[in-house]
Amino acid sequence: MRAESNADRLVSQVLAGEVWPALADRHVYRLGPDGQPFVLPGMGGVTLDVHCGDPATGYASDHLEPGASVRHRDPAANMALQFLTCVGNEVRIASGPAACAVGHVIGQHAYVLVDFPAAAMAGITTGDQVTVVAVGQGLVLTEHPAITVKNCSPRLLAAMPGGTGADGRLDVHVAAVVPAEAVGAGSGMVSEYANTDLMGAYAGLGEDLSLGLEGLRIGDIVALEDSDHRYGRGYRAGYLTIGVISTGQCLLFGHGPGPSSLMSGPADAFRLVTDPGANLSSWLHDGQEASR
Amino acid sequence: MSADAEGLALRPVAVNLLGLVEQPEFGSTPYRVSADGSSYVPVGDGGIVLGVRLGESVFARDADHAAPGACLVHPDEGARHALTVYSCIGNQVVIRTGQAAGARGIVVGKRGEAGRVIVSLAQEDLARLRPADQVAVRAYGQGWRPAGFPAEVTVLNTAPAAFAALPVAVTDGGRVLAGVRMIAASKLAGNGIGRPAAGWDLDLQLSAPGEQSGDGSGGTGSLLLGDLLAVSDLDARWNMGYRRGWLTVGLVVHGASPLPGHGPGITPILSGPAGVLQAEPDPTGHVGLTEAAAQALIEGEPELE
Repeated sequence: MRAESNADRLVSQVLAGEVWPALADRHVYRLGPDGQPFVLPGMGGVTLDVHCGDPATGYASDHLEPGASVRHRDPAANMALQFLTCVGNEVRIASGPAACAVGHVIGQHAYVLVDFPAAAMAGITTGDQVTVVAVGQGLVLTEHPAITVKNCSPRLLAAMPGGTGADGRLDVHVAAVVPAEAVGAGSGMVSEYANTDLMGAYAGLGEDLSLGLEGLRIGDIVALEDSDHRYGRGYRAGYLTIGVISTGQCLLFGHGPGPSSLMSGPADAFRLVTDPGANLSSWLHDGQEASR
Repeated sequence: MSADAEGLALRPVAVNLLGLVEQPEFGSTPYRVSADGSSYVPVGDGGIVLGVRLGESVFARDADHAAPGACLVHPDEGARHALTVYSCIGNQVVIRTGQAAGARGIVVGKRGEAGRVIVSLAQEDLARLRPADQVAVRAYGQGWRPAGFPAEVTVLNTAPAAFAALPVAVTDGGRVLAGVRMIAASKLAGNGIGRPAAGWDLDLQLSAPGEQSGDGSGGTGSLLLGDLLAVSDLDARWNMGYRRGWLTVGLVVHGASPLPGHGPGITPILSGPAGVLQAEPDPTGHVGLTEAAAQALIEGEPELE
């Protein structure tokens, strides 16, 4: 992205994390939109065969977290990991048979979510230690004071197309625009933790549940209408939030594929460019595969 | 005796639960950050809040989620969830310990996440209450349905006598008509969306009259604690979520909040397809659960059908 920033003033921190197990309870089932009970994998552990660029929905899964789901055992250290880690940050496996494999962060979802090349992913499991080089919080677009940047690494910023336009607005390429009606669980939470579940993407269910979001892909850059995520996630008419779809298929009602927040500000500070290629896989994933 | 949605005769049961009066909690910093980016110290977010009454504006106080009365919790996580889920609006409570022992009140609403039950009692009794005082809650209402209700409409979180005191009626055509203060669009739903309606309130991102409004409309008109409020395109039968053509009605149980994604909250009591469950907004004349109605419920006989 051709936009001036304070990237050269940011510091990086090395953080430890651990691939966290999937969790369940003895009641097993949860309820879908029509009251249907379900038991489906997707959250926690290592979810295979779903990467950036793949469809976000259409799986027999709930709260699908592509790749490795990472936490820290200590609650306070975990919040540091969740808050400081940014989309695009490099992650290295530090133990187990996949040691030294390199992936990148695609978002947060009460876990740091890390996409690795498929060959590396096959060797990663629960309990493997990971090292995150966290950089990005505090990033400022110096020519765009109305826009607040969240969870976005300088590396991702540099890789994204667009930038400061002739009229001073920020051009951002997006794969989809999301109406405010779609905002589900995650509203009212801080913008540096978890993500915003989008309703209206229940593939294969009723028309009355659809907001036309079934075509989202993992890694898509999207714009949320009337959303202000500068100080936490809330509704504000005339504001726009740019996010990256970091989680996929959900059956739990009021939940859905979710963007992690990247930028937020008044809508007139942005110019959206519709671009089906606006996906992390276009800028990060392929390069990472090549580096392996 | 009432009939459930399938027409089977099932008798609801009452259970005695124990709640403890809550003390508000902070982390190591006193500050929260408002939707406009200013820091503030949250006051009134749980615990005993004096002077806030049913019938006052949700915007009357410079407070955060202030509720009319005291919040009850339980130190055990599972017991706290059960206390929250099984307690229903109108349930009678009795203070068992402390200076206010023997005083009576009623449940007027609930709040989510860890779970809180909001109880109202006379202000002189509230003033004698202290955090950790024990409160017995006669929980009754989950599983109850009013006789003659259409099967499409789900009833939750309410006990019969409180329900009878609210402006809800079945019309000759078999529809349920609820008098409400206002109908809010589902896009204003904040914290609580995607969460279970039996254990979590739904915050609405409404702005005070005359304020710069989050919804661009110049602010909400009058909205009072105890009012009924409807949310369009919202299904609250289980988890709360978007469903086109659906309607949910709830009781306004706490006041506004500076936090983004938060605001005055409702405890849902009715949810159904908009063709069967209808809301009639009356911005000036609506009467929901009043202080007088609450007092009558406190003095009434314990409920059991």
